Amino acid sequence: MKKQLFRVTAFTSLSLFAWSCNQSDPAPKGDYIQGVFVVNEGNFSQNNGAISFFTREQTTAQIDIYDAANGTTLKGGVQDYVAQDATGIILVDNMSAGQDKVEIVNSNTFQKIATIGAPEIENPREVVFGANNKAYVSCWGANADFKFTTGYVAVIDLLTNKVVNQIDITSGGPENLVFNNGKLFAGTVSYGGGTTLTVINTSTNAIERSLPFESAPNPIGLDADGKLWVNDGIKVIKMNPDSYNADATLSLGSDATKSAYNFAFSSDRRTVFFVLSSFDAVGEHGATYKFGISDAQVNVTTPLIKRIFTGLAVDPTQGLLYAGVTPSYAQAGYAVRYRADGSLVDSIKVNVAPTGFFFK
Amino acid sequence: MLVAQRDSIRLEPVIVKGFVPEKFMSGLKIQKFDSTSLNVFRFQNISDLLSLYTPIAFKNYGPGQLNTASFRGTSANHTAVLWNGLNINSPILGQTDFSTIPVTGFDQLSVQYGSAASIVGSDAVGGSILLGSAPSTRPLQLSVGRQHESFNNHQTQVTARYAAVINDQWSFSGKTNVYDGRMNNDFPYSERNQYTVLPSSSLQSGLVQDLFFNSKNDHQISAHVWLTRNRLTLTPEDKAGRELTLTEAYRTMLRYNYKDFTIRTSWVRDIIDYAKGDYRQLDHAVTDKFSNRIERDFQFNQFQIKAGGEWAHYRAHVAGYDKALVTENRGDLFLLTRWQATARLVVSANLRQAFVTKFDPPFTPSLGAEYVLAQKEGYNLKAKGSVGRSYRVPTLNERFWKDLGNPDIRPENGWNKEIGLEQNIATPLNHGFSASLTAYHNRIKDWTYWNPTKSYHVENLQQVLARGIELQAGWRYDVNDWKSGINLGYARNNSSQERAYDAYSSDIIGKQLVFVPMHSGNLNAFIQYRNTRLTGQAQTISKRFSTFDNLQFLEGYTLTNLLAEHTFVWDKVKMRLQGQINNLANTFYLNVRNNAMPGRSFALSLILIYDPPHSAK
Repeated sequence: MKKQLFRVTAFTSLSLFAWSCNQSDPAPKGDYIQGVFVVNEGNFSQNNGAISFFTREQTTAQIDIYDAANGTTLKGGVQDYVAQDATGIILVDNMSAGQDKVEIVNSNTFQKIATIGAPEIENPREVVFGANNKAYVSCWGANADFKFTTGYVAVIDLLTNKVVNQIDITSGGPENLVFNNGKLFAGTVSYGGGTTLTVINTSTNAIERSLPFESAPNPIGLDADGKLWVNDGIKVIKMNPDSYNADATLSLGSDATKSAYNFAFSSDRRTVFFVLSSFDAVGEHGATYKFGISDAQVNVTTPLIKRIFTGLAVDPTQGLLYAGVTPSYAQAGYAVRYRADGSLVDSIKVNVAPTGFFFK
Repeated sequence: MLVAQRDSIRLEPVIVKGFVPEKFMSGLKIQKFDSTSLNVFRFQNISDLLSLYTPIAFKNYGPGQLNTASFRGTSANHTAVLWNGLNINSPILGQTDFSTIPVTGFDQLSVQYGSAASIVGSDAVGGSILLGSAPSTRPLQLSVGRQHESFNNHQTQVTARYAAVINDQWSFSGKTNVYDGRMNNDFPYSERNQYTVLPSSSLQSGLVQDLFFNSKNDHQISAHVWLTRNRLTLTPEDKAGRELTLTEAYRTMLRYNYKDFTIRTSWVRDIIDYAKGDYRQLDHAVTDKFSNRIERDFQFNQFQIKAGGEWAHYRAHVAGYDKALVTENRGDLFLLTRWQATARLVVSANLRQAFVTKFDPPFTPSLGAEYVLAQKEGYNLKAKGSVGRSYRVPTLNERFWKDLGNPDIRPENGWNKEIGLEQNIATPLNHGFSASLTAYHNRIKDWTYWNPTKSYHVENLQQVLARGIELQAGWRYDVNDWKSGINLGYARNNSSQERAYDAYSSDIIGKQLVFVPMHSGNLNAFIQYRNTRLTGQAQTISKRFSTFDNLQFLEGYTLTNLLAEHTFVWDKVKMRLQGQINNLANTFYLNVRNNAMPGRSFALSLILIYDPPHSAK
């Protein structure tokens, strides 16, 4: 009996093992299984964006892993990259109409799986994964008159790698996206005049609400308490993602000539980092600040880091702050790493115009 | 034209005083193109010709699209383009889009290497391209030409040249030329090697009118008009995303010459319209340049002197400027001298001072010399050298563009030094060899830069050193009905940024400038039997960096073309039939947009020439 039980147990665990092998590969193969992916926008007129990669312990980057894996470059500016399991999605924005695309790659090998081009994808901005094997891409559309009335969210079915739906957003170019619990929050580009946060019900692909704001709203993400943070001009608003009621409104200073961007949550999602800057005749000036999700006000007199960045993100594994530095659009940028207290760790040369990071 | 005129008698040629005083350019390298070379390129743009015969590097955005020159490792703003002596670079952009200059638009072409600011003025930092009109030597010659090319591209040209005696005193000659090209670029492929071949179409049309009046008592009046229109559309099938760039130029000039005295007046209007998607709303930019020049020649024994001045008034209406109308006056005073010191030595010393409204361009002197090292029957060896200051008045965009322009910017200025050897050998057996070797060193200070780290605000940030060598060699062999020749060119250019201006410029210092190849070469060979000619052309350039820190680059490439032509000659009519294979090897290469350039293509052209033999008066 005991022997039999052992055999049964052994058989069960063996089949469990086989089942789990079958269901999710415990040891994915590829050169890019764990590490930091840098979105390099490139110089718009040169169509030379790229994804760079380094492991967390490395201090030099592979500057163009798509080229390394596929023998050809992305041929456009890179707007965004996200990955989930073995699926990676790259948004490519070419300077010429009809040449933009979504490249779907194996996130571990970076080998190309599928391409979705025009007319489904035109001026893509940001991508998020949703539920039920769907991904959502905000696009400005052709936007030839720069009035931002041709925008939409493209819904990609990741089983067929095709766009299965297009949700038009005419209230201003859709920008940042946050997916939460069957809802997709789409922000609005800050210079298009739009002031609407669009809430899309992803089971019906219908616009559920168009929430009005003072300036162009952009969803930042959900904090540790499940609250949605939205940037609205030089304010941030903490709101309930289901009732849409505002719990708190924090001012990011009082200088309306400044703009706040590159919001990033800490790894515990209790702190928000951001860049606050203004422009004058000789360029952009500003610094990087932070606030806690329970703070009553934001300290914009003492910066965390006295620099501005073209990209900002926190590695959820190690908690380090990754900041993108773009010396110019005609030379390599840097990924600079800081500790959460703002002290410098190191910097790694990447490709042209690092604007975003993805951690795996 | 192409074939020697055995059975016709030429009119007494009208002698035109040179539009550009090349004789004061001693010590500088000048490459002249004969009419045969120009004729081969009758249906092409000037950049096609220059990239096959000179080391000028072109920064091309695609077929029919923006194409700017980098001469001896300088920027697109550093090549002066002169039409009959007048700088026709766009005053707002400070450069010429070479895709808008067809070879059929001019009769004469010289390329002058290195700075000649003391003679040419602003923009002549890396070199100058001199286009000229020539009076007709024929009483009447009419020609009609048509070219059909792959990708549904076709062109038509009609030219009339005429000359006549008006009365006892006066005679006149002239040329009227109309051209029209439709480059539909219907490529049978949308990509090559996975790189997009961007759909585009360009329509190019123009009118050239030259009139020369000559009197026996040394009065000469000439009038010149050149109208061009270039309509470029990117992705024409995409109604929402298509991009239109319409470039028009009206160039007019009146010139009067009496013995040693010349005055010239001109008006040039440049129009650029841009629109995306909806063509009803055009970004419109109009610039007018009214320019006058007066000069006089003097001769004292071995000294030749030219003294003169120029005055120009600019008016610019540009959608992107703060002010609806920007006006500016510019003046120049110059003194050019040439001294034949000995039979072997020629020295030129030239001085120029420019004046610009609210601006202080540098005083620009130059000194050049040529010395004959050896001269005997059939052999000539000459040493050349020159040192000169150059400058560039910042473009109107660099100063007046809303928010980004910088009215306080300083003019760029540099010093160009060069030395060279030139050798010619003619053998009794009809062989001719020529070779030249030139080394140059050109440092440009206050190089302006639309600084990306300061929202593209224009600043005098960079200092660039361009240095290199150029080697040219040619061989000609003519015997009986056979003619043949080979031309070979090689250039090595090293152009780099020298000055640190921010924390990250250390990544750039010493690096080769973007889109300037380190090595370039060209080879042209032809063989001709009577009226049949076969020509092979090749150009090769090494990799071009596309970022200032040389992180990214475009691979080098070699392009080859093959041309065959035959001219049928009848009593009054000639007919030239030319077939051309471009990019013979179907080479894959990329333009600066990171798009693929087209592969092999074919062109067939026919020119009918009515050219009756002229009987003596």
